[in-house]
Formats: sequence, structure tokens, C-alpha cells
Amino acid sequence: MIFLVVMRKDLKLFVRDAKFLATLGLFSASLVLILSVAFGPIFAQPAREAAATVWAALFFAGVLGLTRSLELEGESGAGDALRLSGADPFSLYIGKTLANFALLAAVFLLLLPLTAVFFDVGTLRALPGVLGVAALALIGYSAWGTLFAALARGLQARELLLSVLLFPSLVPLWIGAVKLTHAYWGGAPVDEVKDWVKVMAVMDVLGLALAAWLYEAVQEAAE
Amino acid sequence: MTTEIPVWWSRGARWLWIAAIALVLCSFWLVVRAPVEAIMGPVQKIVYVHVPSAIVTLLAFGVTFAAGIAYLSTKQWIWDAIGAASCEVGLVFATVVMITGPLWARSAWNTWWTWEPRLTTFLILWILYAGYQVIRSSLKSGSKRTISAIMGIVFFANLPVVWKSVEWWRGSLHPKNVTMSPDMRQVLLVGMAAWFVFYLATFERRLRLEWIREARSREGHATADSAFLEARVR
Repeated sequence: MIFLVVMRKDLKLFVRDAKFLATLGLFSASLVLILSVAFGPIFAQPAREAAATVWAALFFAGVLGLTRSLELEGESGAGDALRLSGADPFSLYIGKTLANFALLAAVFLLLLPLTAVFFDVGTLRALPGVLGVAALALIGYSAWGTLFAALARGLQARELLLSVLLFPSLVPLWIGAVKLTHAYWGGAPVDEVKDWVKVMAVMDVLGLALAAWLYEAVQEAAE
Repeated sequence: MTTEIPVWWSRGARWLWIAAIALVLCSFWLVVRAPVEAIMGPVQKIVYVHVPSAIVTLLAFGVTFAAGIAYLSTKQWIWDAIGAASCEVGLVFATVVMITGPLWARSAWNTWWTWEPRLTTFLILWILYAGYQVIRSSLKSGSKRTISAIMGIVFFANLPVVWKSVEWWRGSLHPKNVTMSPDMRQVLLVGMAAWFVFYLATFERRLRLEWIREARSREGHATADSAFLEARVR
């Protein structure tokens, strides 16, 4: 199982880089703080504002994670070794995507209680629904993000370019995540927005399908 | 593949330009003659420029998508040239859509901009293809073609979203179906033909530029190679 080896390797690199993890955690928490101050102190629609805040913070912080995973690989020479190993490119991609998913999920689990406390939203009953939405959103984000990060690897100012390309592409995913989270936190009936689950699922499948088709070419271009 | 521009192309381009200019003039003339819409008045005539430019934009980005697939399968430089040329011209038409849209919106909806599904998705499309231009211009020649082809394919995923946005999302101000009088439909069809031929003509110019660049780059390499060999012989 090559993808498991790659995922373990990437996760090890993340765990060893404690400074980066601390910075990522602080940065994403600061985003939640700034947005809650901007919307507060009295929240007009707490469920809506909290949903927008948690997903905006996660999407911004996620870019740091995506670019850092490639930087770490470049620094340690693991990327070249992987390409030389002759492993199936899609397995490499899936391994990296799973590692990015785990990193983004960790950031989300940090942001979720912070947002719930700052905005006073969410109940334990809503938690499974919100976690389901998060799974859909993070699969899509890591699938598209890993592909785009690999594409931007050789570029100067890649964080900027990655944001410019990734955020517009992920807008359907972001809107879906905000609308569904808002509904689960009591802002709107869930039935009214349940179609967004389909949109998000399509985005997830599309991202993975495009990567299955194009990741080999992306790797070639990076060489 | 040769980098000589074929003779038939050089001759045909002139006629294409004449046709494009004639058709665009004709379409403007028809816009002047088209019936004035009862509610919006003359402002409604923006539609004869706005809709054709939007359709040509989608066509141009579709060509970039197809050329991207062809480049990845064949690795022939001409497909990269076609994709890049069509994308750049498409971005110009997309900009026309982004300018004429708010002009219409101000009159019809009393606002320059609203976060309505089609406007939002089209803005996203514009940002993505503008990003394509920025990234392509910052790439080194080695990976430029492959990365451009990949971007052309990946960004195309947004086109069906723009097309279907009025059906998928509620609250769209763009109509799903438009009923027009025969006179108006005729003007719109001529406008579409005009903008399509105008796209072909501008695309031809842009492709020729890519062709010349490729030829120059090969000449440059050949000169550098012969200079290197001469230096070795000495």
C-alpha cells in the first residue's frame, strides 16, 4: 500500500515540524478571533456568522498547510526520491491528499470549539451533522488543494498564486459548507439546503477524478 | 512540426478579417435598427453585445480545454499555442461580459453588482483564467506547456457551473428561458455570428504571434547551437 507509506511519511514530516504546527494553529485561531470581533460583540445572526467564520479561517489557514507539505518534501529531498521510486503517481497523490486531509481535520477540530464558544452556537446533537459536512468539505479541499499545490510547486510567490487559483475553484464547496453548517447550528431548516450535499460530493469526485487523470502530467511538469 | 506559416493561412486570414469587420459593423447597425424594448428602453440593446460575448467566451475556453487534452496526448507545441491563444482572446471577451453586465444590471436591477449565481460564477471564471495568464507568463519554457494544458483542463470544470448556475441556485436574476420577438432574435443571431467571426479573426492573430515566437525561439536555439559548435571547432 504505497499511499499509506506516503501518508505516514508526510504526517511524520508535519509532526516533526512543531514550529510550523504551532504557527498554523495560532494563525487559524487568530483568524477566528479577528472575525468574531469584526462580527461582534452582539451577533445579529450567530449561526450564519459562526459558520462563515469557521470555514473562512479554515480555508485561509489550509493554504499554509498545503504549501508547507511541499516545502518540507523539497527540503528533505523526499519528493525526488518518491518520483525516482517509480511508484504509481495516483498512489503518491492519494497518500499526500490523505496527509493533507488529516492536517486540515486537525485544524478544523481546533477551530470548531473555539467558534462554538466565541459565537455561542452549536449543540452536541448537531455535532455529527457538522462533522459530516466537514468530512465532505475537507475531502474536496485536500483533493483540489493537493493537485493545485503540486501544480504551483515550481512557481515564485506560490502561496499567492495558489490562493488566487484555489479559492475561486472551491467556491461551490465553501458555500455548501457554510450553508449546511449554518443549518445544523439552527440557522435554517436542514431540508432547505440539503441539495448542497450533492454539490459538495460532485466537487469531491471531480477533484479526485481530475487528479487521477492529470497528476502524472503535473509531476512531469515539476521535474 | 514545421514552424513555417502555411500560405493558405496567410491568404485566408485577410478574408477572415474583412468578414469579421463587416459582420461586426452589420450587427451594430442591426442593434440601432432593433425594436426598443417596452420596459427597459434602449438599454436593453446591451444584450446584443453581452450574450454573444458570453457565448464566445465559453467557446474560447472550451477550445483551450480541448487543446489542453490534445497537448497532453501528443506533446505537439501547436496545441499549446492554440490553447494559449484561445484563452487570451477568451479573457478579452469575458472582460467585455464583465463590463456590459453591470451596465445592464444598473438599469434593470438598480445596482451595479449583486451576488447572484451567474454573476458570481462568471466572476470566478474570469479570475481563474486571469490567473492562467499570470501563471503562464511566469513559467519557464520547460514546464510552461504542460502546466498551461493542465490549467486549461482543470479550470474548464467551472464552465458547466456557470452555464447551469441559473438552474442550480435559487434567487438567480438571469432568466432560464428568454422570449424575444422575431426581430430581436434576428439581431441576436447576427450579433452571435459577428462575435464568433470576430473571435476567429482575433484568435488567428494571436495564434500567428505564438507561431512566430516558436519559430524565433527555434532559430535562437539553432544559432546558439551553431555558435557553440563553432567555438568547439576553434
